[in-house]
Amino acid sequence: MTGISARRQPLAAAEISALQAALAAEHAAAYGYGVVGAHLTGHALATARADWVAHQVARDSLESMLQSAGATPVAAAAAYRLPQRVHGTAAAIALAVTLENRVTAAYLGLVAATRPTLRKFGAREVVAAAIRAASWRGHTVAFPGFPAGAVMPPKAARGQSGHGRTPPPSG
Amino acid sequence: MTGGPGTAGTGAGRSRRAVLAATAASTALLAVAGCKGVGALATPPSPAPDVGLLRAAIAAEEVMIARYDAVIAGSPGLAADLRPLRAEHRRHRAELRSRLIVPPGSAETAAPSPAATRSGPAAPGAGGVPSAQGAAISFLQEAERAAAAALLRQLTAVSPSLAQLMASVAAAEATHVAALAAVGSSGHA
Repeated sequence: MTGISARRQPLAAAEISALQAALAAEHAAAYGYGVVGAHLTGHALATARADWVAHQVARDSLESMLQSAGATPVAAAAAYRLPQRVHGTAAAIALAVTLENRVTAAYLGLVAATRPTLRKFGAREVVAAAIRAASWRGHTVAFPGFPAGAVMPPKAARGQSGHGRTPPPSG
Repeated sequence: MTGGPGTAGTGAGRSRRAVLAATAASTALLAVAGCKGVGALATPPSPAPDVGLLRAAIAAEEVMIARYDAVIAGSPGLAADLRPLRAEHRRHRAELRSRLIVPPGSAETAAPSPAATRSGPAAPGAGGVPSAQGAAISFLQEAERAAAAALLRQLTAVSPSLAQLMASVAAAEATHVAALAAVGSSGHA
């Protein structure tokens, strides 16, 4: 429609697929947060709802970027096999961490795009997802979005990495 | 200082660096041989475009580590909470250093001291860190925010691979801001 950026240069295939991967991760997160929220109450539930909204907003942005590039956004699946069974608060929080880790990794893929707007958008979402993940996890990690083993293991820092300063809010 | 083999410490980092260094070296040789002939050998190869920004990112991590050192020294009561965050900065520094490949003999081989290239409120080891615990935490939060923002600003000027690392490091620093808020309020829920 307006499509200023879309008309100029078509996105590269790698950029399209990075956007689609991020969108697929957002679809899964939007579904997963429904399950997460069902097992939470009070402040944790409010946080889960806010995070769910953030994923919806990001999903809308991705769909719009893909559409203006002439690509068909991947659709959400009717249901997702959850990576873990969810019974109770702790499992729900663990699922939220998993969902955010996957979203973070997907956006890190978008950061590899050469187009500055895509790279910046990806980085912004990497930061946002990492913050949500750390909040659920109760502690930080050195390299959000990178699979374990993709970066140097801690050396002198070993033994401090599993700290867990703030236990997850359990109900 | 320059992240050479003496500081590598891990087998994985060392072997990957060796492979990358070999690749970089052979690429440089091919470029020299292919483009300009023998005369080009007189000119040291110029460093890759990433090198300057990588050095700046390494220097920024040095400064962050020094700031944590200073706060921990001044407020030992915060040490247990701050050490894990400092450890993550050390890992950032190590990973960034492992990406630093400078062709031997290039003009950039002599690494500037990190302190010489930095710009920020407190020099490493300098007495710019507030002594009150609350103020020290706020100081670290602001430093983390600024460090993350600086990395994100440079993101579009580097290679895809370095951009990913810098985005991840920036994200970690952003999470430190919230983690520090929990330290500052001392009694978490």
